[in-house]
Amino acid sequence: MRKQHWQSFGELNNTDAFKQSVDNEFKEELIVEDDNKGFLETKAPRRDFLKYLGFSTAAAAVAASCEMPVKKAIPFANKPEDVVPGISKYYATTYVQDGDAVSILAKVRDGRPIKIEGNDLSPLTAGGTSARVQASVLDLYDTARLRFPSIDKNEVTFEKIDKAIAQEIANLGGAPIVILTNTIVSASTKEVITQFLAKNLGSKHVTYDAVSYSGLLLANEASYGKKSIPSYRFDKAKVIVSFSADFLGTWLSPVEFSKQYALGKKIDEKKPEMSKHIHFESVASLTGSNADERFLHRPSETPFLVLSLLNAINGQPVVGIDDKLKKSIEATAKELVEHKGESLVVAGSNDLHVQVIVNAINEALQSNGKTIDWSSTFNIKQGIDAEFATLVADLNDGKVGGLFIYGANPAYTWYDSKKFVDGLKKVKFAVSFNPKADETTLLCKYNIPDHHYLESWGDAEIKTGFYSFLQPTIYPLFKTRQWQDSLLKWSSSSIDYLAFFKQYFIGKTGSETAFDKALQIGIYQAASTLASAPVFILATVSTASSAIGGYKKVTGTEIFLYQKVAIGAGEGTSNPWLQEMPDPITKATWDNYLVVSPTMAKSLLNIDLTNNGQADAYEVKPPKHVVEIKINGVSVKLPTLIIPGVHPNTVGIALGYGRIKSLGKAVVNDNGEPNGANAFVFASYKNKTLHLCNEAVTLADTGTKYEVALTQTHNIYNTNQGNRTEIMKELTLAEYIKAPKEILEEREAEAKPYGGLSKFKEQGTIYPSAINERPGVKWGLSVDLNSCTGCGACVIACNAENNVSVVGKPEVLRGHEMHWMRIDRYYSGNDLDNPKVVFQPLMCQHCDNAPCENVCPVAATNHSSEGLNQMTYNRCIGTRYCANNCPYKVRRFNWADYSGSDSFPNNQKEVLNDVVLNMNDDLTRMVLNPDVTVRARGVIEKCSFCVQRLQAAKLTAKKESRPLVDADIKVACQQSCPTNAIVFGNANDKHSAITINRVENPNRIFYSLEQLHVLPSVSYLAKVRNVAEEGEAVHGAESKHEHKEG
Amino acid sequence: MHLKYESQLREPLVTGNKTYHQVTEDIISPIEAKPSKLWYVGFYIAVALLMFGVYSVYREVTYGIGQWNLNKTIGWGWDITNFVWWVGIGHAGTLISAILLLFRQGWRTGVNRAAEAMTIFAVMCAGQFPIFHMGRVWMAFFVLPYANSRGPLWVNFNSPLLWDVFAISTYFTVSLLFWYSGLIPDFATVRDRAKTKLRQKLYGTAAFGWTGSTKHWQRHESLSLVLAGLSTPLVLSVHTIVSFDFATSVIPGWHTTIFPPYFVAGAIFSGFAMVQSLMLIVRKVFALQDYITLGHIEAMNKVIVLTGSIVGIAYLTELFMGWYSQNKYEGYTFWYSRAYLFSPYGWSYWGMMACNVISPQIFWFRKMRRNLFVTFFMSVIVNIGMWFERFVIIVTSLYRDYLPSSWSVYYSPSTYEIGFYLGTFGLFFTCFFLFAKYFPVIAVAEIKYVLKITGDNYKRDMAQVEGQPLESFVHENLH
Repeated sequence: MRKQHWQSFGELNNTDAFKQSVDNEFKEELIVEDDNKGFLETKAPRRDFLKYLGFSTAAAAVAASCEMPVKKAIPFANKPEDVVPGISKYYATTYVQDGDAVSILAKVRDGRPIKIEGNDLSPLTAGGTSARVQASVLDLYDTARLRFPSIDKNEVTFEKIDKAIAQEIANLGGAPIVILTNTIVSASTKEVITQFLAKNLGSKHVTYDAVSYSGLLLANEASYGKKSIPSYRFDKAKVIVSFSADFLGTWLSPVEFSKQYALGKKIDEKKPEMSKHIHFESVASLTGSNADERFLHRPSETPFLVLSLLNAINGQPVVGIDDKLKKSIEATAKELVEHKGESLVVAGSNDLHVQVIVNAINEALQSNGKTIDWSSTFNIKQGIDAEFATLVADLNDGKVGGLFIYGANPAYTWYDSKKFVDGLKKVKFAVSFNPKADETTLLCKYNIPDHHYLESWGDAEIKTGFYSFLQPTIYPLFKTRQWQDSLLKWSSSSIDYLAFFKQYFIGKTGSETAFDKALQIGIYQAASTLASAPVFILATVSTASSAIGGYKKVTGTEIFLYQKVAIGAGEGTSNPWLQEMPDPITKATWDNYLVVSPTMAKSLLNIDLTNNGQADAYEVKPPKHVVEIKINGVSVKLPTLIIPGVHPNTVGIALGYGRIKSLGKAVVNDNGEPNGANAFVFASYKNKTLHLCNEAVTLADTGTKYEVALTQTHNIYNTNQGNRTEIMKELTLAEYIKAPKEILEEREAEAKPYGGLSKFKEQGTIYPSAINERPGVKWGLSVDLNSCTGCGACVIACNAENNVSVVGKPEVLRGHEMHWMRIDRYYSGNDLDNPKVVFQPLMCQHCDNAPCENVCPVAATNHSSEGLNQMTYNRCIGTRYCANNCPYKVRRFNWADYSGSDSFPNNQKEVLNDVVLNMNDDLTRMVLNPDVTVRARGVIEKCSFCVQRLQAAKLTAKKESRPLVDADIKVACQQSCPTNAIVFGNANDKHSAITINRVENPNRIFYSLEQLHVLPSVSYLAKVRNVAEEGEAVHGAESKHEHKEG
Repeated sequence: MHLKYESQLREPLVTGNKTYHQVTEDIISPIEAKPSKLWYVGFYIAVALLMFGVYSVYREVTYGIGQWNLNKTIGWGWDITNFVWWVGIGHAGTLISAILLLFRQGWRTGVNRAAEAMTIFAVMCAGQFPIFHMGRVWMAFFVLPYANSRGPLWVNFNSPLLWDVFAISTYFTVSLLFWYSGLIPDFATVRDRAKTKLRQKLYGTAAFGWTGSTKHWQRHESLSLVLAGLSTPLVLSVHTIVSFDFATSVIPGWHTTIFPPYFVAGAIFSGFAMVQSLMLIVRKVFALQDYITLGHIEAMNKVIVLTGSIVGIAYLTELFMGWYSQNKYEGYTFWYSRAYLFSPYGWSYWGMMACNVISPQIFWFRKMRRNLFVTFFMSVIVNIGMWFERFVIIVTSLYRDYLPSSWSVYYSPSTYEIGFYLGTFGLFFTCFFLFAKYFPVIAVAEIKYVLKITGDNYKRDMAQVEGQPLESFVHENLH
């Protein structure tokens, strides 16, 4: 990634003139077919639309650089000085979605943002991103975005809607306006809201988050008098204990936490030490799967567990939980006490009392001020459920005059959405600023769609005093308007939001120059005001513990609602990249489903996974049993997946599915029915907070089946015929300390027939010179399995960078997914219900002795002098022999015309679904990376090590007449990785990170399937688990008694 | 009755006391007559199948290989299974013509023409699969090493698929030449008997001006020997090279040195079975029981039980090596993916075992070898078994190879995948019906070599003589 972030603010010196020029710049209206149609059905005629896009992108490219307004489309008659066609620009901006915020750089190519990269300068995420951040660029080009302001679904002009709303406000007659938003992270926006509220007395702002942290906020208010969330320092914690807090996947600030967590997991071979992570959960999560030790419990047991832990830490007896959990709690307490001051306990529960006890535990462990940092608190996830519940009541009581909705979508996400919808009908008028026709927006009379964040100005005060800025990277594609502009207008402000925002931050930063600089690098940190650590109010503990003492024990089946890493609470549902990204744990795409443990599968579905034949029959056939889930009369039918790592009495369902059609093609299946079902209906509202779990679940096999598109069937890499340790190596810290050379010895033994590892390479081929005598560059990649959390950011980054096709659910079902990069998940261990999980990112291994290369009859895949295994798409005739002969199965074949690039006409509609067709829409295609060939039907493709980036980097070095250095290149997966698990570079360079990585880890390095003698260029560092007990080891020959199949 | 001059070791190759003329009549007259109703029915069915095949291929070429149910793990399925199967069937013809000719096996003459025709049609069918399994079939010419304007771009001589291109095309060419050179004297016979101008012209052209002069016969004989010599190694090489497609790869279940002999034996096995199926029908339909005798059928059944047992040993050797090598990947493929009956494809392995190894053992019994119904039934069973064998090798190896993460969902063919296969049946039988109608299905010239007409006449005369009272003999001979 480039360190210089390009930015120009000439226009800011001359605001009025600039405004004028912008106003005059794009006089042409978006041409839209048939004005009388409802706004959901309207389409731009294709050609005109293209024209418009061509013009607007070209113009926007220049507008963004803002030298002179242009009246011409590409090619430039007069080329703007600093826009070079074909050269990408990087703008620092911020991903903001549903209250999450990550500092990023947007790669803009010829006026189009096409890729998101992490912003290295952010102290929080330091260049890390998540799958959702990576995929957000596709949302910009979503064809289902709302394209114009509307009244009753009919397009109107901004003037008209402004007038209409002014009239509505005037007509309210004192009835209050409520601004309902999800958490507003932007400081300037909060100011805008304050101004609006000041103008409209009696109005208020309600913050509502679909997945709220109310319990945590209220507990902190009770314990510390501060209704906010402190910073957590997972990097400083030697022992991390989490109760269902999926902090690597979905909890609070996962990118930041992943970064910190990975620091603690990095192993110095000379001094092997790492943090220990103990996880208690009910349904397998990404975080739980990464834990060193995971214990399963019922969701209803959480309060008892945290209380027991507090007691155990305080040296009091542990009572009230079963023996197995008691033992684990005691062991956990011991670990924690041993690491006082360097331990951290977090809980995902939304129960105030649980969080109070967790606070007490952290106090007892002296975490406050060490692993918990109150000097800088989060501004994300500020919603309080009770406030929203009050609003729903108020709505129903007719106490609300006008409702402005921004970001929130309670018609879908509120557990009792019917009540909200009924209330919404009682307001005098409702305005939605949501950019898509979501469940709530459809119920509002007025809609003024907001810009996509890549079109917006703004800021995100992620933590108090830490600002990350948004700046537009493209001229708005549609007739949308930032909602802050609307608010300002309606509060009769004289300036628009851009001016407001600028003023606000010039005030903060002190000068315009400082502000420009901050905007350029994307972040600004206010001089820290050293807030004193708040004092813990001990009294709340006894209140909480007595409250917990009053909780009843649950015996029946319980349900736990979780967020998928890619989908969240529904933010990712309409994004095809995210839908097609296999869930890290279940490896399923496009659907949600009921997850049950193998034990429950036996009683519920009569499938015994310990039986080879039955396990196989279950795994290899996509149709899965459909089960009816019923709680308090609400029933949902979903297919069932058997997932180890789920408590036998608990079932899980992912949130975010069962959406309405108007959100786009990705939310519905080919029959037009929603993918999956809405699980929010099962949430329970207790003690003034919303709990994503419930009791008294009845399950019944309906006898029908439903196909679930899984990308990985089998779970366990050891078989009756032996443990396949050559694929992936895993060991415990204790083992590693005892016998650090174990992996090396294993590898030596495998290489013995070839004269040991030293001679292994030259023995690989009868043409040793072809392999050994390679001067110059030799590309290599290394993945540290200990750092990798399996989050999948790299998968989406690869999709975006390399134009990897989306194929849709029917094609995934047939094993046709195109991902160049995948994350394999394996289970190991004796306990089928709670095994260990390992993730192994797998891309083309770029073998030096590649089996794919010699079988291609036309030499379409061959080896470069730099060690790349390269695909020549033009030459490929599609025999698929290379794919068959690839031991890693990383080659992907274009089974149909996924990319619309075929010369055969009309051959998509019949065989591909609407999602794929929509990906080939002229608008969606704007996301394609022009540096990467779009592959035609009938050819094989695979990871190229981002060869386009390598070439660009080499050119840069060449132009500057200097040798290539690491900083020149970051491949897409490496760039996106929040944990820096991926290292890439020139292995022939002694000083490169990749060489250092390999030299410094001689005992942990291995190559997958090394014994095949294919000589891969991708090395792995073995996974080390911090498990002290002997016998827990799941490695090599000792583990003969493991389950054969998952 | 017994004569001291007659060998009782072998039964006659042609029965029914045929004279040379009768032979010609028997074989050529169906060509001159209008085909039967049955022929039309069969022909139209074949053409219908062919049309369905053409449509299936059209689908595949237009919409992509995604019309088939292959996936990221199983890159080859029915396509290459069918390819190997058809190539295997295409083995018997050349084996019968070439190797048996060199070994002076006289019985081959009754079946060689049809067997060779079968070979050619089978190789034609086989060829469709490697061509149309390509994702971009319109670029298929890239596999030909021709001088081109694309710089130093050349084919990859390391690739077994390229070897296939050479092996199959060579085999096809030599088989076609061999077959055609044998047809020349017979075409001349048809020409000479022709009653219409058109016939005369067409068969005359096809006969290349054959007059039956001694010189022609001498050259014909030499050419046959040379071509036989050329094809003999091809019989072994073609399937050896086809087996290299698998044997040179790294996939457990494919990477096996036993493949070449095992494939060749399997090919002969299935080829002979196919010859049996076809010949039993031809024999019945064209009433050629005198030319294709029980002796022929028995001889071929012996080959079947021999080669069937060879493949059986090969299967057992593979299983043994799967265990003995202690290679967990191979062990898994052989002992779980294949031999474990309840694994997803266990049925195909045991289907193969039952069809190829167990059931042909019935031919140890002479009575069974000479039973037409059993023979026909077994010939079909063997070909099903051999199809399973290729399916087992290809699919059960691919669907679960090294990385369990990439193990495949259950693969079953799509309509168009099956359609393509049926289409090749259509192609095969369309060709075969045309052949049966317009070509002499038995080598007229060659079968006359083995017609023991002189000895039989002598026998007949002697029988008459011996049965005659002396008086009448004297009377007849003296008058």
